[in-house]
Parts: sequence; C-alpha cells; structure tokens
Amino acid sequence: MTRCSGTPAEERALAYIEGTLPEMEAERFEEHYFECPVCLAYVQAIQAVGQELAREPAVQIEEVRRKPLLGWPTLVWALGTAAALVVLGAGGIRIFGPHPAQPSQARIAPAAPSQAAKAVPALPVRQTAVQLADLALPVFAAPNLRGAGVEAHFEQGMSAYGHGDCLGAVAALVQVPAQDKEERQAEFFSAACRMHQGELAAAGAGLRKVMDEGDSPQQESALYYLAQIALARNDPAGAHRYLLRTISLRGDLERRARLQDQKVLAVMDREREAAKLKDVK
Amino acid sequence: MNGEQSGPGLRLAEEEAKDCTRLALAIGTGDPGAEREFALRYLPRVRAMLLARSRNADVASDLLQDVMIEAICALRRGQLREASKLTAFVLAIARNVLNSHFRVAARQPESLEFPDNLPDLTAASDDVENAQRSNLAMRAIAGLHPTDKAILQLTLVEGLKPGLIAEKLRLSPDVVRQRKLRATRRVVEFVSGQSQNVISSHSLTGKVS
Repeated sequence: MTRCSGTPAEERALAYIEGTLPEMEAERFEEHYFECPVCLAYVQAIQAVGQELAREPAVQIEEVRRKPLLGWPTLVWALGTAAALVVLGAGGIRIFGPHPAQPSQARIAPAAPSQAAKAVPALPVRQTAVQLADLALPVFAAPNLRGAGVEAHFEQGMSAYGHGDCLGAVAALVQVPAQDKEERQAEFFSAACRMHQGELAAAGAGLRKVMDEGDSPQQESALYYLAQIALARNDPAGAHRYLLRTISLRGDLERRARLQDQKVLAVMDREREAAKLKDVK
Repeated sequence: MNGEQSGPGLRLAEEEAKDCTRLALAIGTGDPGAEREFALRYLPRVRAMLLARSRNADVASDLLQDVMIEAICALRRGQLREASKLTAFVLAIARNVLNSHFRVAARQPESLEFPDNLPDLTAASDDVENAQRSNLAMRAIAGLHPTDKAILQLTLVEGLKPGLIAEKLRLSPDVVRQRKLRATRRVVEFVSGQSQNVISSHSLTGKVS
C-alpha cells in the first residue's frame, strides 16, 4: 500500500495544484493519481475549492488585516508584558487555554479588541445588507470566434478593463457606437466599472438599460449586479427582487444568486425582528 | 505519494493492469460499452490533470473532449501496443493535447474531424458529481475563518507564494504555510468526506464507482 495521507502527501498534492512541484515530480504524481482514487479525490477537492474561491469577491486585505491575529512572536511578546497580564487577568486565558496544541485556533478572536478578553464563542457572522454586496468586477470572457471583428473602442476598453483600469475602460467603452453589436456589452461593462468605483447611481442606470433591452447574454449579469447595487445601498428588499429575477433566468449566476438570496432573506428577517422589538419598546 | 507497493498493493496493480487490458482490447473490437466505461473511468482524471496544468476551467473543458476522442480513436485503431499500459497511454495523449494547445495558442485553432458513433463524452454522472463537489466546496469555504479563506484565495486563485501572502496579511510565512495546510485539510475533508464517492482506504483499482 502506498501512503496517500499525512502532511507530506498533502503538501505534494497542494504543490501540484499550485504548479510549484518540479516537472518530474508533477508527472510522477499524475501517473499516481490516475490510478489512486484517494489522491484523485484530494486533487478534485482542492480544484473545486479553488474554482469556488475564484467566484468569490477578491480578498479585502485590509479587512483580513483588521482581524486580531496574534502571531507567535506577538503572543510571546504579549505574554511578557503588562498587556498580557491584563488579558489573562480579565479571563483571556479562556481563549488561549483550551487549545494549547492549536495556536492558530487560539488566534480566532472577536473583532473588537475591547472584547478580546471575553472569550466569546465563535458565532456565525451576521452580515448586513451592505456587507453582502459583491461589487467586484465581473469576469470578461473574450469571444473566440474566427472572423468576428471587434469594434476598436470596445477592444481598447476591454483591454483596459482586463488590466483593472476602470477609468480607461469607461472612457473607451462609452465611445462604442450605439448600433454596434458590442454596444450592449460595452454598456454592461462600463456600468460594472462605475459600480466598482462606487458610482452606484450611474452604474444602476446603465445596468437597468441593459436589463430593459431584454434577452441578451448580459441580462442575467445586469440583474445580478443590480441586486449588488441594491445591497450596497442597504436595500435588501430590492436586492431580493433582482436576485429572484436572476434565479428565474436559470443561467450561470443562478447558484450564486440563490446563495446570496438566502443571506439577504436572513438579513431581512433580522431587520423585521429588530423592528418588532423596537415597536414593543 | 508514490511509495513502494507491498503485497496487497501489488495485487491491486495487477488487477488494474488486467482491467486495462480488457478495456483496451474491447475498444479495439468496437465494443461501445467498453468505450463508455473508458469515458466514465478517465474523464474525471483527465479533467483534473488538464485543469491543474492549464489553470483554466474553460480550456480544460475544451481539451477534455479532444483527449477523450483522440484516445478512443487510437484505441479503435489498435494503436496501444501494451494494453496493460492504458493509463499511461491516456496520460500521454492528455499531455500531447495540452502541449499542442499551448504551442498553437497564438495561431488559429485546427478544426478536428470527429468520427461518428462516439460514446457520450459529456458523462452526466460526472457533471452531477462536479456540481455536488462545487456545492460542498462552497459550503466548506463558508465555514473558513476569513484569514484562512484569504490565504487559500491568494494561493489558489492569485497563485501567490506564502512569503508574499505573509507580507500582504502581515503574518509570518510559517504561519501562512501552517494555516494554508490546515485550511486545505479542513476543506478537503469536508468536500471528500461528504461527496458520494467517499473512499476511505487507498486502492489502486481506479474504477469509477
């Protein structure tokens, strides 16, 4: 029997997926997992996770940095200072105590530093409507058709879009002639750029135009991003309506819209409960 | 992962070789059932390989059909000399197709002439498995700590190395490595553990259940 579990095996599979395994080893690993269901399942699982993560909004580095992560050097330092005494004295030991073998678990702490010593158990994060908004730029899939000439402004705009240059993209895309076959796509992507830049009113107008023009490859995306704009404006009910319309088209965004709609409904429920409590008071 | 095979492992490898021989010979005689079995068996493996190498789901999906068609046509023509080496044969075709794709990427794509009466290469069961896996992956990701999620996203999507991720997240590279491994283990256990093709022990049969 070969051993296909444990850290070295996992590291090798992960390195293969990341593309950091030397070529010879990568080929050997391929020969292996073509005949090993355990390793194949591992590779498939990581690939599935990677693909799902690629659909998620880009990492907000600042958000992650704000989470109180006590790395070991910091922890050692902290334990040697009066601050550590305060933390331990206030019951912080409950955070670090029960998991001596799992330092990374110990770093999972509540967001507000003032609450760090209260050993709050991990609760599901209650996101607000605004936090749910996915304002990341949608992916542009370049057409791969032979003989299909692309309008110059559109090409220039999408090239800028590909480089994350929203200003440049909008400047070029608005010049795509109204009768051009790329016009609707240009309208959609310039609206997406505006949304990404926080110009929600202009973005909403552009997306509604795409939506109102009826059946097109951009219609589903327009509805989905209108829902995102509604969320960014703290309008979960509006977002819910757009998400339902997105789902009804049964397209590529159906699953994403369903998932988000569940979260939106949870936000709406919480808001209703809060309103009831307010009325009672 | 590629340790030496002991007694039971060797027997399984022998069974695998026999199975490959049977399948290759059956396809050579024009057995459509064998072609279907071949497709079911190798589609997931070839897809995983193409995805890992191309890092592009669309490219992997396009090339997957090419690999399977090329392999079946070659087997029909009896081009596999050692029938027991079917897996290596399929892998070699997949590598060739992938290399050709990268070589001609800048040129116009060649038009392939598909033979008639090919088995269904869309494999509905495979699609269902993929959809289930994606669903589980989504749930696994939702259960991750934001830092772990960020590390996995920066690793698997952005392709960043631990050192750079550490810099971005203001952590030490060792912490990033450790968290990455743990997070990967957690999500893989969740995805593999709950999918219908749970395989608890290592076997070399390679059969698609």
